[in-house]
Amino acid sequence: MRDRNLSLRVQSCPRKSGACNFSKTCYLRDMTPYIQAQNVALTFRPKNRDPVTALQGLDLEVGKGEFLSLVGPSGCGKSTFLNVLLGLLKPDGGDIRLDGKKITGPGQERAMVFQEFGLLPWRTVLANVELGLELKGVPASMRHQRSSELIKLVGLNGFEHHYPHELSGGMKQRVGLARALATDPDVLLMDEPFAALDAQTRDLMQLELLQIWDRAKKTVLFVTHSIEEAAYLSDRVIVLTARPGRTKSVIKINLPRPRDYEMRLTADFNDIKATIWNTLKEELIARTGYGA
Amino acid sequence: MALKEIYTEYQRPILGLASVAGLLLAWELVLTYLIPVNPFFFTKPSLIATAFREQVLGGRLSHDLIISSRAFLWGFSCAIAVGIPVGVLMGWRRRAEYTLDPFLTALYASPLIALAPLIIVVFGVGLVAKSVLVFLLAVFPFIFNAFAGVRSTDRLLINVVRSFGGKERDLYFKVILPSTLPYLIAGSRIALGRGLVGVIVGEFFAASEGIGFAIARFGDTYQLPEMFAGISVLMIIAVVVTEGMRKLEAVLAPWRVGQEAR
Repeated sequence: MRDRNLSLRVQSCPRKSGACNFSKTCYLRDMTPYIQAQNVALTFRPKNRDPVTALQGLDLEVGKGEFLSLVGPSGCGKSTFLNVLLGLLKPDGGDIRLDGKKITGPGQERAMVFQEFGLLPWRTVLANVELGLELKGVPASMRHQRSSELIKLVGLNGFEHHYPHELSGGMKQRVGLARALATDPDVLLMDEPFAALDAQTRDLMQLELLQIWDRAKKTVLFVTHSIEEAAYLSDRVIVLTARPGRTKSVIKINLPRPRDYEMRLTADFNDIKATIWNTLKEELIARTGYGA
Repeated sequence: MALKEIYTEYQRPILGLASVAGLLLAWELVLTYLIPVNPFFFTKPSLIATAFREQVLGGRLSHDLIISSRAFLWGFSCAIAVGIPVGVLMGWRRRAEYTLDPFLTALYASPLIALAPLIIVVFGVGLVAKSVLVFLLAVFPFIFNAFAGVRSTDRLLINVVRSFGGKERDLYFKVILPSTLPYLIAGSRIALGRGLVGVIVGEFFAASEGIGFAIARFGDTYQLPEMFAGISVLMIIAVVVTEGMRKLEAVLAPWRVGQEAR
C-alpha cells in the first residue's frame, strides 16, 4: 500500500529525481494536495464572555508525506486548527478535505500527539499505547504485539509496565508518540509536542521524530512556537497571522535530508530562521504593539 | 542497628500501636491506683476485656454482629448501587445536576438521623428499617464524591479518547470512572462511618437484637464493662474496614501510590 503510494508520488514529481533535493519528501510529488483547507473559520462563544474569533479565512494545503510546521503568535489559533483537523472541533465555515473527503469527525487516518501528553494515569505504558487499537476493536494479542513494537521503536522497552507518573517528561511524550503511531494513521498532528520538555531532551526527540517520520512515511502537521524547531524539522513552514489566524506566508525549507544537529549551526540555517523571524515579527508587533 | 532498621521499616504500625497501648495502660493505671473508681459509673480496660471475653464465648456477640451487619450490608450495597450512577450522571449531565442538586444538598446538610423515628414507623422494627436508615446516611457521600470525581475529570483525557474514535460509553468506562475511583474510595470511608451510625441509631430506637441494641441495653442497666465491650467491637470493625479500604485503594488505584506529597 505504502510502496504503491511512494511509486505513484515519484512518477508524479515534476522534477527529475536527480535535481530534486527532497529525495523522499517533496510535497510536489502529489499534484493534488493531500490535506486541503479552504476558508476555515471558527469563533468560540464562551458563556458570559465576548466571542473570540480564532480562525478566519484560513487556507492551507499539505502534500502527502510532507512535514509541515505552523508557527504564529500565541493565541493565533494554531492549536485550534489542529483540533479542527483532528475532528474534535467543528469549524463555523470553510471546507477541510483529507484525500478528497470532507473531515466531519475523528478518524483513524489521523492521530494527535498532545502537548501535555494526555496519557491515562491509570494505564501502564503498554495499555496507553494500546488505547487507539482497543477503541478500534483490535484483538488483545495483536494489540500487545503492535504496541510492543512501537514501544521499542520509541526506545521505551523495559518500561511497558510502568505508570506515567513514574516516567520523565521525555519518556511520557515517547509514549504519546507511540500511541499516535499505533493505529498507523497517515497523518500525525503534533501540537507543540516538545514544548514541555527540557532543551536537551527536546533536541533528542526532534532527531528521533525525524528518523521515525523518515521510516514511517507519515504526513506531519507540527505546531510549534520555536522558529528553530520549525526550520529544522519541516519541508515547509507556514506563518500564521495574529488572531484571527490566516496563512500569512509559506516558507520552503531547502535543506537536504536527512538532517542532523550540525546543520543547525550553518549560515543557511540561520538565513532560514531569519526569514521566518522577519515574517513573524510583524505579526508579533501587530499583536502586542511593541516595537511599532 | 538492626532494631533501628526494623523501626524505620515499620514506623507507622509501631507508633500507632504504641499510642493505643499507652492510652489503655494509662487508663488502667489511673483508675487502679490514683482515682479509685465506682464501677457503677465508669470502668477500666481490664474489666472491659473480661466482659468482652464472656460475650465472645457466650455467642451473644457474634449473633448481634450478624444481625447488625446484615442491615449494614444491605443499606450500604444499595447506597453504592444508587449513589455512584446518580453522582456520575449529575457530574456529566448538567440538566441532571441542576434538577437533583436542591434535594441532595438539603438532605445531605440536614441531620437525617432525625428521620429515624419516621422510618421505623413506616418500615417497622427490624431489618428493613435499619437498612433504609443506613442507605439514607451512606448514599450521599457516594453521590457527592462521584459527582466531584466526574467534574474533576481531565478534559484533555476526554479529548484523547474522543480523538481515537471513542464513543460516549468509552468515555465513561475508560476515562470518567477510573478518574473518579479515588474519589469513590474516599467517599466510601465517609459513608462507612455514617452507615455505622445508621445501624446503631436504628437499633437504639427500636430493636430486640443487634450490636446497637446490646449497647443501649447494657447502658440502661449500668453494665458498663459490657457496654464498653460492644463499643470497642464497633471501633475495631471501623478501624479494620478503613484499613481494608486503604489496601483496596492500593490494589484498585495503583497509579496513585507514591504520589503523596510527603
